[in-house]
Amino acid sequence: MLRNIVKTLLKVPNTRQFVTAPTSSIITQSKDRLAEQINQYNSKFLPEPREVWIENLDTEETNRLGLMKLHPEVFADTPRIDIVQRNVQWQKMYRFVSFAHSKTRAEKRGGGRKPWPQKGLGRARHGSIRSPIFRGGGRCHGPRSPTPHFYMLPFWLRLKGLTTTLSIKLAQDDLHVVKDLEIPTNDKEYIKSLVEKRNWGPSVLIVDDNDIMPKNITIATDEISYINLMPVYGLNVYSMLKYNTLVLTKAAAEKIQEKILFNLRRTDAYKMEAKFKVNQN
Amino acid sequence: MASLKHTSEKALQMLRSLPRLSLANIRDNPHSRIKTKRGRGQHRGDFHGNGQKRWTVLRLGYDCSNSPFYLRFKYEPYYQGHHLRRQYPPITLKTLQMLIDSNRLDTSRPIDVASLCTTGLFQIFPDEKQFGFQLIDEGAECFKAKINIEVQHASELVIAAIEKNGGVIRTAYYDQKALHALRDPKKFFERGLPIPRRMIPPQDAVEYYSNPKNRGYLADPEAISHERLVLAQKYGYKLPKIEDDPQYNMLIETKDPRQIFYGLEPGIVVNLKDKCIIKPKVDV
Repeated sequence: MLRNIVKTLLKVPNTRQFVTAPTSSIITQSKDRLAEQINQYNSKFLPEPREVWIENLDTEETNRLGLMKLHPEVFADTPRIDIVQRNVQWQKMYRFVSFAHSKTRAEKRGGGRKPWPQKGLGRARHGSIRSPIFRGGGRCHGPRSPTPHFYMLPFWLRLKGLTTTLSIKLAQDDLHVVKDLEIPTNDKEYIKSLVEKRNWGPSVLIVDDNDIMPKNITIATDEISYINLMPVYGLNVYSMLKYNTLVLTKAAAEKIQEKILFNLRRTDAYKMEAKFKVNQN
Repeated sequence: MASLKHTSEKALQMLRSLPRLSLANIRDNPHSRIKTKRGRGQHRGDFHGNGQKRWTVLRLGYDCSNSPFYLRFKYEPYYQGHHLRRQYPPITLKTLQMLIDSNRLDTSRPIDVASLCTTGLFQIFPDEKQFGFQLIDEGAECFKAKINIEVQHASELVIAAIEKNGGVIRTAYYDQKALHALRDPKKFFERGLPIPRRMIPPQDAVEYYSNPKNRGYLADPEAISHERLVLAQKYGYKLPKIEDDPQYNMLIETKDPRQIFYGLEPGIVVNLKDKCIIKPKVDV
């Protein structure tokens, strides 16, 4: 059954072909044996690098200004929906503190006196009117405030969450790269109609490499609740899924790629996880 | 159609014809979380899979009123003293060659536990009775580097593979305290403690480390040079003369049996902040 589903999904006509680069251009003609080995490995075991159009924002119509190559380990990673879900769950939970609270039998008012004698009345024996089986009694094992739900998702899952989500966004045509964020006016109608004309879906997340962005786009998007600006250091899985379309500036895409590739290859990640281990000895 | 040689390409291709991924349509893999609740009724209620014991949570291995499996047979001490035995996590010669090729190891300096640990690819846990690394002979045929290496255990073929290329290998013992310092030298120096003395090997390891065949660090150097020739004849290769080697000084560099770091005697404090070494006034 699964095989049938896969077959049908793959048969669906492809609206936009993956733009793929010829493999020969990836392999540099370097004489360095190791670099050559790495390139051979990459061309053999990695998907082909992705190419995206660099678009503009200064007119409402799309102008394609050039092509940009994106690294397959960041933008064509295996889509793991379960890891995406675990990232979203973690982002929701790590700062959630439950303030639900209930009183125990000791904290309830009164109940210190034995309500009636142990024997002789024909009634059930009880020691306190605040015992959990009494109406108005205390609650056993009830919620206690504050209950933090902080935990840390393993480093590699957080990283994989980012690459997976970026890859999914690109594969579903929901990721666009623009040259910069310069727009001719600070009118919010301009950006609204731009999004409308380009079919970017109602909600758009625009990511720049810096947290100080051009004045016009800042003013234009300020009052639109579903179009938001974000610097690269704020990029996260939850936000990428919350918005229909992700728009990266060229500089942001380069920075994201560089940062993720650095972290994918670092060998000291275990030291960063050590801080969050429960058993600290 | 795009090339579908890679599984992820196939998956991404499928995603193109599926609805947009959003916060509303993601989920974890089914059954990936273990339920810890004690079900009632049809949900494994009644005796909760505990035989006739209704309320208790049964200990692991208990067989519900039968004699438990693990007690049914007489004592057979396969693992006697296992908790005391020393472990040596393996590193293959192939891995070592890869580390050298990818510039993770500097062959112009002697290689020891510290340099292997600082690559970040290996960790050593002295508390778990790991007493250093052993070199194993996988990839001996493709090992081409000339190195001066110190490991804790090495087989004969490994020794031959390294000496054939003009390298030097030595096996040496480190106690747990020394390994704690070696596994993360920076962390150790930041503690500001004087470098301890390396302990001598325990009784059952003395024989191994004083045997010239194992290139033990306690063996007679002349016996070792003899054994180098013997091994070269056994495996049929011409032993390169390290005396004529331009890297001669590096190749003969060794540690004192009581020394932990190259070039640092016990008792020295390394100050990373001021980048200086503080030597003790009296001999330790």
